[in-house]
Amino acid sequence: MYRTRHWHRRQNDEEVHVFRCAQQLLDRTENMDPNKPPFFGTPGAVHKPEEALIGRGRSLLLPPGDASFGRGRGFELMASAPGGQFGRGLIYPGSEPSTGLARGLPLPSDDGGMGRARGLFLQAVQPSVGLGRAALLHVEPSVMPTPLAQPAKPDSPQGMPSLQAEEEEMAKKSQEEVAVTTPGSSLVSMFRGMGIESSRTTWGRGIMPGVSRGARGEPVTPQVGVSSAIGSEGDGPVKEEMGRGSSWLGQGLVGAGRATVPTMGIGRGPTSSSMLPPGPAAISAGLSPPLTGSPPKEPPMHPEGSPPKAPLQMEASREPLQKAGTKGNPVRVGSNYIAIGCKNDAVYQYHVTFTPNVESMGMRFGMMKDHRSITGDVIAFDGSILYLPVRLNEVVQLKSERKTDGQEIDIKIQMTKIIPPSSDLCLPFYNVVLRRVMKILGLKLVGRNHFDPTCAVILGKHRLQVWPGYATCFKRTDGGLYLSVDVTHKVLRNDSVLDVMHAIHQQSRESFQEVCTKELIGSIVITRYNNRTYRIDDIEWSKSPRDTFTLEDGTQTTFLDYYSKNYGITIKEQDQPLLMHRPKERAKPRGKVITGEILLLPELAFMTGIPDKMRKDFHVMKDLTQHINVGGEQHTQSLKQLLIKMNTIPEAQTELGRWGLEITTDILMTQARTLPQETICLQRASFQPAPDASWSREVTREASISCVPLNCWAIFYPRRAADQVEELVSTFGKVAAPMGLRLNRPTRVELRDDRTETYIKSIHSQLTSDPNLQLVICIITGNKDDLYNAIKKLCCVQSPVPSQAINARTISQPQKLRSVAQKILLQMNCKLGGELWSVNIPLKQLMVIGVDVHHDTSKKCRSVMGFVASLNSTLTRWYSRVFFQMPNEEIIVGFRACLLGALQKYHELNRSFPEKIVIYRDGVSEGQLKTVEHYEIPQILKCFETYQNYEPKLVFIVVQKRVSTTMYSFSGDRIGAPPPGTVLDHTVTSRDLMDFYLMAHSIRQGCGLPTHYISLYNTANLTPDHLQRLTFKMCHLYWNWPGTIRVPAPCKYAHKLAFLTGQSLHSEPAINLADKLFFL
Amino acid sequence: MCPLFSPPLFMQRYQFVVDFVQKYEPKKVLDLGCAECRLLEKLKYHGNGVELLVGVDKDSSAMRTRMYSFAPLSSDYLQPRTGPLAIELYEGSVTQPDPSTCGFDLVTCIELIEHLHLEEVEMFSEVLFGFMAPSAVIVSTPNADYNPLLPGLVGFRHPDHKFEWSREQFQLWALRQCEVFGYTVNFTGVGALAEPHTDVGFCSQIAVFNQDPSPQDSAVQYRSREEPTVYRLLYSVVYPSLSDNNILQKTLVNEVLCRAELVKQSWLSGKWVAKTAPEPYMTGSSVCVSLLDVWSCPRVRSLCGTLRRFTEALVGESRVVLTPGREAVIIPVDDEEEEEEEEDEDGQGTETRWTASVTTEDWDVEIPHNLDSNLHGAKHG
Repeated sequence: MYRTRHWHRRQNDEEVHVFRCAQQLLDRTENMDPNKPPFFGTPGAVHKPEEALIGRGRSLLLPPGDASFGRGRGFELMASAPGGQFGRGLIYPGSEPSTGLARGLPLPSDDGGMGRARGLFLQAVQPSVGLGRAALLHVEPSVMPTPLAQPAKPDSPQGMPSLQAEEEEMAKKSQEEVAVTTPGSSLVSMFRGMGIESSRTTWGRGIMPGVSRGARGEPVTPQVGVSSAIGSEGDGPVKEEMGRGSSWLGQGLVGAGRATVPTMGIGRGPTSSSMLPPGPAAISAGLSPPLTGSPPKEPPMHPEGSPPKAPLQMEASREPLQKAGTKGNPVRVGSNYIAIGCKNDAVYQYHVTFTPNVESMGMRFGMMKDHRSITGDVIAFDGSILYLPVRLNEVVQLKSERKTDGQEIDIKIQMTKIIPPSSDLCLPFYNVVLRRVMKILGLKLVGRNHFDPTCAVILGKHRLQVWPGYATCFKRTDGGLYLSVDVTHKVLRNDSVLDVMHAIHQQSRESFQEVCTKELIGSIVITRYNNRTYRIDDIEWSKSPRDTFTLEDGTQTTFLDYYSKNYGITIKEQDQPLLMHRPKERAKPRGKVITGEILLLPELAFMTGIPDKMRKDFHVMKDLTQHINVGGEQHTQSLKQLLIKMNTIPEAQTELGRWGLEITTDILMTQARTLPQETICLQRASFQPAPDASWSREVTREASISCVPLNCWAIFYPRRAADQVEELVSTFGKVAAPMGLRLNRPTRVELRDDRTETYIKSIHSQLTSDPNLQLVICIITGNKDDLYNAIKKLCCVQSPVPSQAINARTISQPQKLRSVAQKILLQMNCKLGGELWSVNIPLKQLMVIGVDVHHDTSKKCRSVMGFVASLNSTLTRWYSRVFFQMPNEEIIVGFRACLLGALQKYHELNRSFPEKIVIYRDGVSEGQLKTVEHYEIPQILKCFETYQNYEPKLVFIVVQKRVSTTMYSFSGDRIGAPPPGTVLDHTVTSRDLMDFYLMAHSIRQGCGLPTHYISLYNTANLTPDHLQRLTFKMCHLYWNWPGTIRVPAPCKYAHKLAFLTGQSLHSEPAINLADKLFFL
Repeated sequence: MCPLFSPPLFMQRYQFVVDFVQKYEPKKVLDLGCAECRLLEKLKYHGNGVELLVGVDKDSSAMRTRMYSFAPLSSDYLQPRTGPLAIELYEGSVTQPDPSTCGFDLVTCIELIEHLHLEEVEMFSEVLFGFMAPSAVIVSTPNADYNPLLPGLVGFRHPDHKFEWSREQFQLWALRQCEVFGYTVNFTGVGALAEPHTDVGFCSQIAVFNQDPSPQDSAVQYRSREEPTVYRLLYSVVYPSLSDNNILQKTLVNEVLCRAELVKQSWLSGKWVAKTAPEPYMTGSSVCVSLLDVWSCPRVRSLCGTLRRFTEALVGESRVVLTPGREAVIIPVDDEEEEEEEEDEDGQGTETRWTASVTTEDWDVEIPHNLDSNLHGAKHG
């Protein structure tokens, strides 16, 4: 459908994220940190030589004798070496010689994002080490497990896990074996042999015993907390700095007990990393020390003067990636990032073990709370990992009583890491602090962002309220630690879902349920009683508030009682259906999987967001965008207001000060570049676009690159549009020639009425009677989605022919008819296979591909992925395909068919395959980046193997439109948006990605929102300049808009195609349209 | 501590207060020793007519962690409550008089006094009944008579308890306060035995005091609240409510415009049905919707009560345009096509910079070929 208006909508009103409580977030993120020591991260730390407690770490993939070995960074190395690692360690209790040897053996995994780990107790000879055997000993089968490895208490049973009686025999054997190896000497010689100073040997990973469950008399095998589980992304050795994978506490993770030793880990092992948000990955990468770096100096660790056996030291950070380009003119820009000062020198990471084990997280938190006098008030604790801004002794032993059974619990707090206060590891709990600060400032959490209801703009006519607010989070970028603040708005409605249902009932009584389903499903509601947001996934018509549900404690209660008891709310209407929300299945930290449905009462749920019906209402949208689309001036102003509040309200200051955070009052000012201007080429003429990067005038006055003569076309219209059609056709005739377009008079088909069947029948019969028909034009009165969909279905799927739907309203104004007609003609030309304009593409044998996904909001339909690939050197011919994707289905299946189709077509036209393929991939969420990188890209590379000896260079760029980064430019004292082509490739960019921000489009209203581009793969060796400029060039090529757009044209085409397919066609368009831009 | 009781004893105590509040509808409630503010939270939800909820505790740490949860929810702004509600939390000792604690309808001291030393109890009684002098007081404390029935209990029920009174001791104390300060008292409790084989009373004994009616009573009631002098205000919040005229007006305008818009739309689409209100009519490009039609909306009615107040509220309201005769709301018909964003380019704008030739670049020669092909690719991560 022809629409001249492009809503550059911000996403604020569409937030679909379900509220997650801060603690969960914290837990989850923390638990997934792969670089965290699985148990006692820097194992050497507690060992004293006289106790001969030695841990050693070794990476399998590294050549023996690798320098990294001897450095005190064994753990990090292991964590970062993919493919397979060892954690080996020995524990020699002073009195009773016993040896434990363990391996954490992450399997090299090819499943893209699954990290696996195994803790193995080996009984094998380790020739390279010269140790006879590793044995795992029990101390006394019946002994109560005590906190293990307590150097401070030499008389307590040493840190060996206890085996149970049935393993005694085994243990004895081991003992014997161990006895053969004289621990001291062999170790010493071993280390000597490796050229490692003995003082360094304490580094690396050792077996550290964990907590035994045996203590509680469970018949399980003894808990040997070895599990030196090291996460590995498993994607190949090149990624020497990746140590991804995650770990979680204990339950169920088994260090596969090979041989005979029953092991089980309380330990941490990697879990599926496909679920990981990118954060943790960044964390690990950011903290891995450079392989070749010199050993960092080791500060004295024991303030009280005990011998520094295993000094912990501040984590070093990694070399930044080379991602800065040089081309273009420098331009000073501001961005919505605020530098954060860290007053503290360091943050200390500890590992906390409870002996006997305490399963309940709540109880663990409680016990830690009891020891505030030791830890101080400022703590971040996830149940096992503890962060403090203060330094405790290396090992702190505490005692608590378990209230449920009076059991005394030993709590051991062991320092594992010293991290810089700006480390990624700190972000999760800094962000918790930030949420608290926002709350202190009186802002309301809706979804994930905070809003200020006292500044609400009320649009009474629509019963809407627009709440201004902020999306804030701490980020660690190339420039350091920043607070990223975006100004957002939330549209809320005064209506409860029940109100909306009533309104629907009044309007359409007979199709009530159907309309409700259509309007409500997919929308986000906020509950009246606890402020949570939920997405409506279904409506339970058969249920009512009188129905019962089961509470956590197992009792049954009705909804009526529940709300009355807990919130004092009396439900007014007892006969309302219930709304259903299906939470996304995700494992909670403790391995608990949240499943099941959440039922909500329509009466107690408020609608949020703009309903679809209103979205189509031009006037509402105009009212709304006025409030939502704030310009740079207002943007920076609201930002500053927030900063001032944060810096003046004492409670907020205190809260931030707890972790030593200081928020500066100014936004980031930095230098960006405006890329060189592109030259637009038409058939005969070329020109440089005006500063606002639009060229609607030029393209209507000069001939397009190629035009398809329109000899045979038909126009369908209802009778009352007859005059308008006449006007339109004659205007077409007048404006076509300058654009180089030749067209005959169309066949005019006047319809009796504007019913859908009438249109479809007429078009169908016309197509049958005239097989040469090149194009169908339909004039539609009013917003008729069904009609539009039916026409598109007919013309794109059943009887493929390019089609153009025109809303009668757009051609109703005579003074605008000329320019409207020009634009329609250009669009028609595209649909017929004509080419409008191009820019110079200085890469030969290039194919550019755009991919975008369209998701159906109601989740009723499959997602559609649009695929568009260029076919010629000027990038003016496009091949397009779609494929449907089942939920959770990998895109690659369909992708392969599309890619091969495109290559085939390319070969047909060029007699060769492209040498370089650049893929712009839109529709990738932050969490999917890793999946794309480790699964999708290798699969794409595999596709090329279909052809013999075909190995094109591939560049894979992820396109992210929805980013919170904003750019401001300053001209005099006015704050506006930077010019089109402004690129920012440093400071705010991600530490771990080859990325840049490019704002290609011209801003008419609102703020400068750049698009984020991440180059995940680049075997074509395109330089940052090339990547940036090629991307900018691509943003010039969207023929539906004579100007630059915010994403590369192929992405936009793919989006259009996916949208049309998902909204109207619901099936694959006819293949013979694949080489035309029929979907525009 | 007592899995003997279901619901748990503390819940029963809170429920006792909630029931009392729902029955006698005090407007101002003060909770002494509010700790984690659980009772206040309950009262926030269940105290129908309560307009002021205040909590006081000596130890502010628990309050500090909980206090922000008293902030109004988003929905409180979307549908403002009818009656006012303010919540205040103070740090301070109950043995010290503070003017901000005067004039309450109800003061609750749930499991508080046993945490005071006996001499402090004296000071506290003086402050509570003599200085604060609320209309009603609820005091709960452990009943020592009941202790033998608690399994495994040695000593007091809580290590911080300074004493645990028998029923007799408690009643003695209570009756003396009545005598001195002019109150009447009733004794009750929560947590009774299912089978009362021995007469030990309730697990938690409760005394409910009521101030004797006195001439100065009303004076106290309507005295405006005073600023704290000794106590420290930790948190205070005023809920948006319709008792705030600005909010009422805003809500009303909202409803009026929405209703008028609906009537307009139904009239324009021919679905308007004549009931009691006059039919809408056109003036110029606007539709005039009768105020009576708007008034027929229940939501509007509930906001204003009477038609007179309704019309008065709309007069002088800039957001609602009335007809000169003030009998109808004017709603513009907006099916006009809006101005397109794009200005007509013809004849204005900058001149096109036509270029004769395109400068040809060749990136292929610029590409560093000999580098490891994975340089930008898989390496980072």
